[in-house]
Amino acid sequence: MEFIETLLNGLSIGSTYAVIALGYTMVYGIAKMLNFAHGDVIMVGGYMIYLTMAGIGNPILGLAVAVLFCVVLGISIEKVAYKPLRGASPLAVLITAIGVSYLLQSTAQIIFGSAPKMVIVADLGNLTIGSLTVPYYMLITLGCSVVIMLTLSLFVKYTKTGRAMIAVSEDKGAAQLMGINVNAIITITFAIGSGLAAFAGFFMLMKSPSLSNTLGAMPGIKAFTAAVIGGIGSIPGAMVGGILMGIVEALSLTVPAIAPYTDAIEFLVLIVILLVRPSGILGKVRREKV
Amino acid sequence: MKSMFKKALALVLAIAMLATFAACGGTTSYTANNTEFVIGVSGPLTGAAAVYGVAVKNSAQMAVDEINAAGGLNGVKFKLVATDDVHDPTKVAANYASMLEGGMQVSLGTVTTGPGLEYSKLSVEDNVFFLTPSASGDKIPEFDNGYQMCFADGNQGKVAADYVNGLGLKEIGVFYKSDDPYSDGIYKQFKEAINADIKITETVFTGEASDFSTQINTLKDCKFIFMPIYYQPASVFMNQAKDIIAKDAVYYGCDGFDGLAGQFDDFSVIPQEVSMLSHFDSNATEGAAADFIKKYTEKYDAETLNQFGASAYDCVYAIFNAMKAAIDAGTEIDVTISASDLCDILKGQFGGDFSYSGVTGTDIKWQANGYVAKGAIKYVLKTANEE
Amino acid sequence: MANKLTNIKWKHYVNYIAVAIVTVVFGALAFAGALPSSALYLLEKIAISIILAVSLSMVVGFLGELSLGHAGFMCVGAYLGGKASVILEPMLKGVPAGKEIALVISLIVGGVVAALFGIVIGLPALRLKGDYLAIVTLAFGEIVRSVFMNTSSESFGGALGLSTPRYNKSILFIIAFVLVLVCLAVTQNLIRSKHGRAITAIRDNEIAARATGINVTKYKLAVFTISSLFAGVAGVLYSYSNYNVQSSKFSYNYSIEILVMVVLGGMGSINGSIIAATLITYLDNTLQTVLTGDLAVLQDLLYALILIVIVIYNNAPALKNFRDRFNLQSVLKRKFDPNHQHDDEAKWDRVPTKIAMNEILSVDVQPQMSTLDPDKKEGV
Repeated sequence: MEFIETLLNGLSIGSTYAVIALGYTMVYGIAKMLNFAHGDVIMVGGYMIYLTMAGIGNPILGLAVAVLFCVVLGISIEKVAYKPLRGASPLAVLITAIGVSYLLQSTAQIIFGSAPKMVIVADLGNLTIGSLTVPYYMLITLGCSVVIMLTLSLFVKYTKTGRAMIAVSEDKGAAQLMGINVNAIITITFAIGSGLAAFAGFFMLMKSPSLSNTLGAMPGIKAFTAAVIGGIGSIPGAMVGGILMGIVEALSLTVPAIAPYTDAIEFLVLIVILLVRPSGILGKVRREKV
Repeated sequence: MKSMFKKALALVLAIAMLATFAACGGTTSYTANNTEFVIGVSGPLTGAAAVYGVAVKNSAQMAVDEINAAGGLNGVKFKLVATDDVHDPTKVAANYASMLEGGMQVSLGTVTTGPGLEYSKLSVEDNVFFLTPSASGDKIPEFDNGYQMCFADGNQGKVAADYVNGLGLKEIGVFYKSDDPYSDGIYKQFKEAINADIKITETVFTGEASDFSTQINTLKDCKFIFMPIYYQPASVFMNQAKDIIAKDAVYYGCDGFDGLAGQFDDFSVIPQEVSMLSHFDSNATEGAAADFIKKYTEKYDAETLNQFGASAYDCVYAIFNAMKAAIDAGTEIDVTISASDLCDILKGQFGGDFSYSGVTGTDIKWQANGYVAKGAIKYVLKTANEE
Repeated sequence: MANKLTNIKWKHYVNYIAVAIVTVVFGALAFAGALPSSALYLLEKIAISIILAVSLSMVVGFLGELSLGHAGFMCVGAYLGGKASVILEPMLKGVPAGKEIALVISLIVGGVVAALFGIVIGLPALRLKGDYLAIVTLAFGEIVRSVFMNTSSESFGGALGLSTPRYNKSILFIIAFVLVLVCLAVTQNLIRSKHGRAITAIRDNEIAARATGINVTKYKLAVFTISSLFAGVAGVLYSYSNYNVQSSKFSYNYSIEILVMVVLGGMGSINGSIIAATLITYLDNTLQTVLTGDLAVLQDLLYALILIVIVIYNNAPALKNFRDRFNLQSVLKRKFDPNHQHDDEAKWDRVPTKIAMNEILSVDVQPQMSTLDPDKKEGV
């Protein structure tokens, strides 16, 4: 029973990672950049939920406001900080992304102060089946994540915009020649990624109500790891990687001897997987040409 | 050609730096131009631990303002310089040196233990007195210039273990943060002093973790959980555990628990009993603590009210009182007194009979090794909810 | 011809000379007691940053691989070297120059162990490409940090950190700058040798390099190992410049900070790395000590804004013309030598990298016009 509970916990941690990893992976696939500021968009989403909750008290409305704000924020970051660098070295973009990350964290501290906020999104209680106790928030996180992933997969596969995204990620130049507005597609990608980050912020606050300006930093890095494990650029890969990371995390935390090393173990899993499959579990192996 | 340009730039830069360095160097008496007594402190004003540093900065500033409003020390005012170390020991040396060269005469050391280990060794070189409000590591007052206002971790661990031994429990749970010197330090001593026949279920977390569902699951059958951690993760733990851990369980913490109640709109959402062993309760309704709380919340954000601040407030007053006592005893303290001379005077006071009563205790004295001697009180932050 | 040769030689040695002058001047000032502690601490930090940036620049700028685990190697060096010094100092108590011997041995221990880690990580990881390598090195750094964090207090101090002896602060920065010179000598001699050309060939086109018979694995591993060695040396210096080594310092954020120095300095430019490391460390330190009290929250904000503006200004393709016209160098050139033409001699350290696909940071961009007009060159 305890094992099943741990496993379910791992699944819910993992699905949160997966939702964040989707943002990383889509931006990487399309803009070919590591968006280090992605984790901090989660934090901004968290603060939006906090503000709405403090004002109106409705978590669903909070989520809606957060998603909306993060979408706008994501688009503006892209326009101001990344777009001027399109065509420049990807490393330069990486550095501005880091700059944006510092900027968001420090702005949050200036506005909201240094004390962490308690944001109790909703008191949902537990579901008890026999001796199995599962908090409802885990089920909600899992359910929402599955819906998000399915919707996103269907969107990418069956809509015109989605297919344009695949085209841009395959070959930007060719996509442009086919009449796809590459800039618009990149903007849409950032919008979707940032919206997903707001969802992730909601899941994280549901699980643990503490909100500070470093909320997104470590989960962001772990989700990035998850995206790479799954094969960066691949949407199903992000899900697989996220879930795997979550389960590893939950399992290693239950063993006292290795629990302090949990972060190390997660990263070790990454290294081992990349050594066996250099482009991640579901990543495409690309042939290099001269 | 570009590289030549760079070299020229490097040269210009070197000369510029040389000029700035040499200009301010050369004198050893940095306090010669002081018109106020300068108190320095280094703490995390930004980053994940910022709430502690901000509390210290605010409270110490409040004490300084009060002292100045009341006429200072024989008409000489005080000034507080608070530098930011982001809880990173590497930044301490620069903070310390810039404060010292800026005329610092006495200091509150650092807010947290990690940087404090660096600070204590730096300050002993120049013989600068510090009385730290909250760097509770056992080794912080290692040298004769360092004193603590908070309890040292090892002592807290031992006192907590004695208390638990007296309860006659067979089994307890422990939840601590293994990468935090505070938590780790308390727990190590606790483990040494606890009766060997008590079975301990140990759970840990590290870093900025904010999800403890796994640890809660492991602890769910424990009736007594010792949590030598700070209130912020503790509040997260309790909120997550409220329906999983038995309603009649007891959470028992150390002074880090202070501030816990402020994390909840309604503390009674936590059904379990919460108590702590501490020197300050930020929900106090009477005595010096209540006065402090009232003044603090009028002036600053109530979110940053915690025992760090109360302790810092006491530190400033203790230093002020000690200086005053020295003057009353006939020692001359001029506003331009060097840090080292003032240190010798204060060492005489704190190492002697000097005692202080304030927010975090009455008749506080200091042992020769720098540890504080004051009463630790078990505060019951909340009793178990009635079913 | 002879003139040209001496010219090139001078250019090769000027950064040694600059560093040596800085060392001698500040060393003299320190001995005269004219430098306050804050300056000494800052100089130590600058020297450590330069070693880190130059060694990382070998991997990122010359080999063309992205590493986000440099702080991890530094961490290994700091702990192992620090431990060595803790063990050695009491053993060498009575020996003349015992402290110096301990320092040298610690530097060797820290450097060599970090280099060994470089081999162990590099051997499998260098099979990976680009961002995959980046995340593996990041993971390595985090693993190292987490392991040292959870060691017992007897071995490496655990959460409280390892307390290490601090070296005399008026001398340590001189030693650090001497090590900067050593690092420069090793790096530049390697890069300017035929091996260096092989390394840049790998960066520019790995498959072509392989086809011409370059042993890609060997070179990648060699560069990675040397880079880790110097990261380890920087770590030992770090442990000597602090009373306490705490692993929380060596998070991925620190690796990123070093990467920022390399990127801002210009990919594949050692001098750029030196200048950027100096400026960023100076800026960091100034923000930290000037913005005290309530202003402290502005530190990161200012740092972030400066970073974003500089990177966009230096790299934005749309600003290329503006940069070419208004950078300090061309303004000076126009002022003093209206007929000046850029020379186009092939520069080993100034070729586009595969990381920087289209163009590199402005400091390294070669103006194209001169190639169209080869005749003018003779006249310069």
